[in-house]
Amino acid sequence: MRYSPSFARSSGLVPVLVVLAVLALVPLLSSNMYLRHLLVLAFVFGIVASSWDLSLGYGGLFNFAHVALFTIGTYAFGLVGQTLGLSPWLGIVFAGVAAGLVAALITLPILRLSGIYIILVTIAASQVLYQIIISQSDITGGTSGMVSLPALDLFGYRFNRGGKVGYYYLALLMLVASTFILYKITRSRFGRAIVAMRDHKYYAISRGMSETRTRLFTLTVSAALSGVAGGFYGSYMRVASPDNFGLGLLGLLLSMLLLGGAGTIWGPILAAFFVTMVSEVFAAYGAWRNIIMSLLLIVILIFYPGGLWALLQTFREALDVMRSQATASLRRRFGRGQREAMTGAHETMVATRHGRIAVADTGGDKPALLFIHGNSSAKEVFANQFKALRDRYRVVSFDLPGHGVSDNADPEKDYSVEAFADVAEDVLKALGVTSPNVFGWSLGGYIAIELAARGYPMATLAISGTPPLRVVPEDVGRAYDATSHFVLASKTFLSPAESRDFAASTTGPRTPQTAHLHRAVRRTDGRARAYTLGKLQIVDWPRQIRFLRSAAMPFAILNGSNDPFLNHQYFRDLKLEQWTGEPDDIHDGKHAPFLLKPAIFNEKLEAFLRAAEAASRRDAEAIAQ
Amino acid sequence: MTLETLNLILLGGIVLGALYALMATGLALVWTTLGIFNFAHGTFIALGAYIAWQIASTEASGAGLLAGATVSIIGMFVIGMLIYYLLIKPFERSPDIVVKSVITTLAGATILENVINLVWGPRNKQLSPLLGGDMSLLGITISRNEMAVVALALVILAALGVFLQRAPLGRAMRAVAQNREAAQLMGIDVERLYAIAFGLSAALAALAGILIGSTRFMNPSMGSDPLMKALIVVIFGGIARFTGPIYAAFIVGLLEAVMTYLVGLYWSPTVLFAIMIVVLVAKPEGLFGRYRKSV
Repeated sequence: MRYSPSFARSSGLVPVLVVLAVLALVPLLSSNMYLRHLLVLAFVFGIVASSWDLSLGYGGLFNFAHVALFTIGTYAFGLVGQTLGLSPWLGIVFAGVAAGLVAALITLPILRLSGIYIILVTIAASQVLYQIIISQSDITGGTSGMVSLPALDLFGYRFNRGGKVGYYYLALLMLVASTFILYKITRSRFGRAIVAMRDHKYYAISRGMSETRTRLFTLTVSAALSGVAGGFYGSYMRVASPDNFGLGLLGLLLSMLLLGGAGTIWGPILAAFFVTMVSEVFAAYGAWRNIIMSLLLIVILIFYPGGLWALLQTFREALDVMRSQATASLRRRFGRGQREAMTGAHETMVATRHGRIAVADTGGDKPALLFIHGNSSAKEVFANQFKALRDRYRVVSFDLPGHGVSDNADPEKDYSVEAFADVAEDVLKALGVTSPNVFGWSLGGYIAIELAARGYPMATLAISGTPPLRVVPEDVGRAYDATSHFVLASKTFLSPAESRDFAASTTGPRTPQTAHLHRAVRRTDGRARAYTLGKLQIVDWPRQIRFLRSAAMPFAILNGSNDPFLNHQYFRDLKLEQWTGEPDDIHDGKHAPFLLKPAIFNEKLEAFLRAAEAASRRDAEAIAQ
Repeated sequence: MTLETLNLILLGGIVLGALYALMATGLALVWTTLGIFNFAHGTFIALGAYIAWQIASTEASGAGLLAGATVSIIGMFVIGMLIYYLLIKPFERSPDIVVKSVITTLAGATILENVINLVWGPRNKQLSPLLGGDMSLLGITISRNEMAVVALALVILAALGVFLQRAPLGRAMRAVAQNREAAQLMGIDVERLYAIAFGLSAALAALAGILIGSTRFMNPSMGSDPLMKALIVVIFGGIARFTGPIYAAFIVGLLEAVMTYLVGLYWSPTVLFAIMIVVLVAKPEGLFGRYRKSV
C-alpha cells in the first residue's frame, strides 16, 4: 500500500489542535449567546457538508437528496423522541439509522445511472420524501412541521441550561467525530476504491471493485452522518420543518460544499463557518442578504474555482516560499564557513538563466568532475567526494534553484529537468570548464542525462539512483517502488515528520553528520518538488534513451544494492550498455552510496573515470596513427 | 364516474399539459444543447410573468396584454442570454460543470426571486385573461381563456418545431446538440448558439409564465412548482427528440388530473415522482427517446 502517514504526523495536526482549542474556549470566554448559536449551526452544517463531500466530492455521485436525508434525520428524531416518547438519545441514533436506510433505498434506482440523471432522480426522491412527510399530517404535523421536540439531558443535566453550553460542546464533539470517521474512510482501502470508481470506473471494476457495493456504502455512510446531525438539529432547534426539504437549504449546503472545495473534507467544514458567519453579517439587509450571498458565491466560484481550500493553499504556499527563501538567504550569509569546511571548496554565487546559483569549486587545471545533487538536497551531500577526489579532479557542484543556498525561482520557468540542465550549462560556462565528467544523483541523474542527450560536450556520464525512463508515466510505475517514500518527492508541503521520513530514505537517519541534509529538505522550495516532478512528462525521454542506447559516451550506473525507491529488476531489463556490463550495485549503499559507502563508491567512480580516460587516450592515439 | 367528470378531467389535463409542454421544451432546449440543468428556469417563468404584468396591468403601465407579452418575451430572451454569459460560460471548461451549474443557476434563481420580491412585493397578482367568457365543449362548460392557452401553446410549439427543423439557426442548434466538436469544425459559433439557446429557453419560460399568470395567481415563487413538474416531464419524455417532452407533458398533465381525482391532491405529486423514478430506472433515455441526444 502507498505511503500515507497518520494524521498525527501530517502537517494538519497543529492547526487542527489550535482551532479546536480556540473553539473549546469560546463559551468560557464569551457569553455572547448569538455567537454560540451561530457556531452550533456551523458545526451542524459542517457535518452535513463534509459528509456530503464523501459522496459528491470523493465519489462523484451527485446525491442531491443528501439535505433531504438530513431533514429525515430531524423527523426520525421527532418520531422517536416525541411521538413514541422514547429517550431523545435513542432518537439521535435512530436519526442516523433512518437516514442511512432511506439513502440505501434511494441508491437502488441510481445504481445504473450517472451524472446529471443522478441529480434528477435524487431531487425527485427528495420531493417524494417531502410529499410523504407532509401528507402524514397527523404524525408529522403536515406543512407546519413538528414542534416542541424533546431537549437532551444526561444524568439529570439539561442541555439547554447554562446558555445551551451542553449543545455547544456536543455539536463540537460530533463534528470532531464525524470528521475523524470521514478522514479514516477516505484514507482506507474503501476510500481509495471510492475515488478509483469516480476516476476510472471500468478500470476499478476490472480490478475487482464492486460498483454496487461502493455506491451503497458511500451513500449510506454519508447519509447516516448527515442524519445524526439532523437528529441533533431537531433536539437543538426543537422543531422539524418540512421547509428544509426545499431548494433553499439544499443551495446553502451545496454552496458550502463547492465554496470549500469538493473532495477535501476540510474545505466544506471551513466554508460552513465562513458562510454561516458572512451571511450573519448581512442579516440586517433582509432580501438583499440572499442576493449578496448568491453574488458572492458566484464571484468566488468564478475567480477561485478550487474554493476556499485552494485559496488557503495559495496563502500557505506564499508563506512557505517566503520561509524557504529567508532560510536560504540566512544560511548563505552565516553558514558559509561551515559549508566550505565540509567540502573544502570555495563557495561562490553564479548568475544563470534561472536565477542566482551557489557553486562549490575546488578549482585548478585538472579534468573537471561535476556532481549534481537530487531532489530536496544540497551540494554538501557530496562532501566525501570533494575531499577524496580533489587531488586528481577539479570537483564542482552547485545547489539547484530552490535548493540549498541558491535562490528560489519562478516555478513555471525554472523548476524543471530542462531548466536545471540549463543551470548546469551556465555554471560550467561561468567557471570556464569544458568537457567535464558529470555525475548525477537521483533527480540530478536525469539532469545529467538530459545535459548529455542535448549534445553538451562531456567526457563521461555517471548516475546513481536514477532509473532511465523510456515512457512517462508508465515507466515511473515500473522503475520505482510505490510503497516507499517516493510519493513525498513531489509533495509541495512536507510536515516535519514527512520531511524526516524523506531525508531518512534518501540520505539516512538524522545524525550529527547528516543533520545538514535533513535541514536541506526543510529549506527546499516545495514548488521545486511539485513542479519538477509534475513536469517530468514533458521531458524528451525518447531522446535520453536513444542517447544512452547509442553508447556515444562512457556511461556508468552506480546504484546502492538496497535502494528503497528502486525496482532493481527494471535496470536489468533495460539492458543498457554501461561500464561494467550488468549493473554493479554497491552493497548496502541504499539511495546514496556516495554518502553511505564513500570508500567503495569513490573507488568505483575513479576506476570508471580512469578506464574512460584510458579508452579515450587509446582512441586519440589510434586516430593519430 | 360520469362522462361529464371524465371530460372535465381530460380537459383539465390538456390545459396542464399545454403549460408543462411549454416549460419542459425550454428546459430540454438548454439541457440538450449545453448538457446542463437550469434551476433558474422556474424563476424565469415568474420574472416573465411579472415583466408582462408591469407593462400590461392597469395597476401599472396599462399598455395591454399584447404589449406586455411582447416586451416580456423579448426582455427574457436578453436576460436569458445575459444569465448564460454570467453564470454558465465561466465554468464551461471546468470538469465539474454539471454540479457547478446547479449551484450557479440556483444562486441565479435566488437573486432573481429576491429581486422580484423587492420590486413587486410578495402579494399575489393576476394578469387579465387572453379571452373572456366561457364556452361549451363536449357537454361541459370551460373558459375560453383556457382553450386559448392550449391553442397558443400548441401554435408556439409548432413554430419552434419548424424553426428547429428548417431554419438554419435551428438546424445549427440541433447540430451542436448532436456533436459539439463536429459542429464547431463546420464553422458554427458554438458560444453564440449556446447563448441563443439559453435566451430562447428563457423566452419560452416567459410565455409559460404569462399563460400561468392569466389563468392563476402570480407570486415571486410561482415558478418552483412548475419547475419540478417540468423536470418530471423532461425525464419522462427524454430529450432525444423535440417532440418527446411535448407528448410527455400531455401524459403527465392527464395523469396529474386523473391522480388528483383518484388519490387526492396530496398524493398525486408523490405518485408522479415515483412513476418518474421507475421510468428513469427502466429507460434512462426517456419514454420516447433513443439513446442519443438531439433536439
